[in-house]
Amino acid sequence: MRPRRATGWVLLGAVLLGYPLVFSDAYYAQLGTLVLLGAISASAWNLVGGYAGQVSVGHAVFFGAGAYLPLLLYKIWGWSPIVGFPAGIAVSVAIALLIGLPTFRLSGHYFSMATIAVAELIRILVGNWDFLGASIGLMGPATPRAWWDLVFQSSIPYYYLYLAVLVALLALTFAMERSRFGYYLRAIHAGERAARSLGVPVRRCKLYALMLSAAFSSVAGSLYAAKFGFIDPNSGFGILVSVNMVLMAALGGAGRLLGPLLGAAILVPLQITTNSLFGGGGTGLTYILYGGIIMLIARFEPGGLLELWDRIRGRRAA
Amino acid sequence: MLLSVRGLGMSFDGFAAVSDANLEIAERAIIGLIGPNGAGKSTFFNCLAGDLMPTSGKVLFDDADITHASPEEHARLGIGRTFQVPATFQELTILENVMVGAFLRHSGEREARAEAERVLELTGLAGLAGKKAGTLGTPGRKRLEIARVMATRPRLVLLDEALAGLTATEVHQAIELVRAIHRTGVTLVIVEHVMEVILTLAERIVVFNQGRVIAHGAPSEVVNDPAVIDAYLGRSHARRAATGAGPSRGRA
Repeated sequence: MRPRRATGWVLLGAVLLGYPLVFSDAYYAQLGTLVLLGAISASAWNLVGGYAGQVSVGHAVFFGAGAYLPLLLYKIWGWSPIVGFPAGIAVSVAIALLIGLPTFRLSGHYFSMATIAVAELIRILVGNWDFLGASIGLMGPATPRAWWDLVFQSSIPYYYLYLAVLVALLALTFAMERSRFGYYLRAIHAGERAARSLGVPVRRCKLYALMLSAAFSSVAGSLYAAKFGFIDPNSGFGILVSVNMVLMAALGGAGRLLGPLLGAAILVPLQITTNSLFGGGGTGLTYILYGGIIMLIARFEPGGLLELWDRIRGRRAA
Repeated sequence: MLLSVRGLGMSFDGFAAVSDANLEIAERAIIGLIGPNGAGKSTFFNCLAGDLMPTSGKVLFDDADITHASPEEHARLGIGRTFQVPATFQELTILENVMVGAFLRHSGEREARAEAERVLELTGLAGLAGKKAGTLGTPGRKRLEIARVMATRPRLVLLDEALAGLTATEVHQAIELVRAIHRTGVTLVIVEHVMEVILTLAERIVVFNQGRVIAHGAPSEVVNDPAVIDAYLGRSHARRAATGAGPSRGRA
């Protein structure tokens, strides 16, 4: 590794590890936790949407499954939310297979359309199903029985828990980038027909990427449910959950290791600021903000901010 | 025979793009496919590459039936192809493009990189390894496609107008590259409009017209075949070929 790059990694690690120590105030600790949660979700989306170029606009279905399962198992049997993590992963991977198997046979935007359709279908279904709390949703344990209920007063334990998951996900993505699978995903993104002619098993790779992405999106949902102890159809399966993942990754740089983290670090504080500035009346503004960001990225920087940074650096070097 | 095509036909909604095509290709041969636009040679080519499933007939590779095999299976068996409009992975570097091909026979990154570097040396692209494929012009992209397919360790390579749109100097460089590839033991099928290329490289020529093979044989026989002259080459070409004058193109 080049010295400058190594310094960058050490600096990033120090910032992420030291943030709650410097900003120990409840507001900033919460902000940091939400940035990490956003980064986990967007990094999970990035595996299939960024690297393989299969743009899912319904990843909320995996996030929601991951969020509902821990609280559902707690509601029925009083189990720790931790048990719900693998259950959420299993359900999400099964849904990924159900979506991916038929749609990856088709080319073009069928996959994107199918993901939106499935996510909306499940949101409506969950919102009308009493077993899952219908539109009211599900609650987790209010007071912890032990540490394994994952109920903490402060945001800081959540911060480090989320950071550990994010580091694991980024490490996996880093290894994937350098593996045959990673090269194949990028080749599929660049041109499926050419990739196929070189022996790339296109459908299988896309399916594996979707399953992996679904598993980590589910973990993000479970982490969300563990912290907030509550989930309803909109906060689990709402279209904004999916759009958030896409936007964060695209803003920072889709198909880049640190793109989603950068996108989350910009977008999450922006959302919290608009929410606190405009209160309940700012709900519509979120959509305007998202629309504006989508237009700006599409028009000026489709590769995201990291690509812009690369270009600026390239110009300086030249 | 390395590749045998028996009675191959391909129809689109009742329109027969290729009918009853037969071809035998021996190991290490260089075969040229020519014919006017719309003659069916691209359809035939895509059937050989696995991009199209023939509606009738059979394709055998090393005696194995590959008529309905996918493009991925073709690559695994050792059949590689290039595209008429180069389909390089623009956002990947030249080395990474070739590594995608090398991963077919090497699962580890280090081995794939070493194989890709070896192929880049062979194809004269080693000096550009770190550059993005999108920075290359058409000749470079065509060369990169050849490098990429060579990294899959193919036994048969299908070149789809790999030399079209090149200047005279670039054509000569490309001919040298194709010869270098052939020397490694690879069998080649070349679709090309530049007759100079076909006459220089091909040992045998197959001529398509209106979906049918109208002639098949050594270059000297084919260029003097009245049916080929009428359908594709024209009288002026035949005169030039007879007097040994400069390069020409068939009727595109």
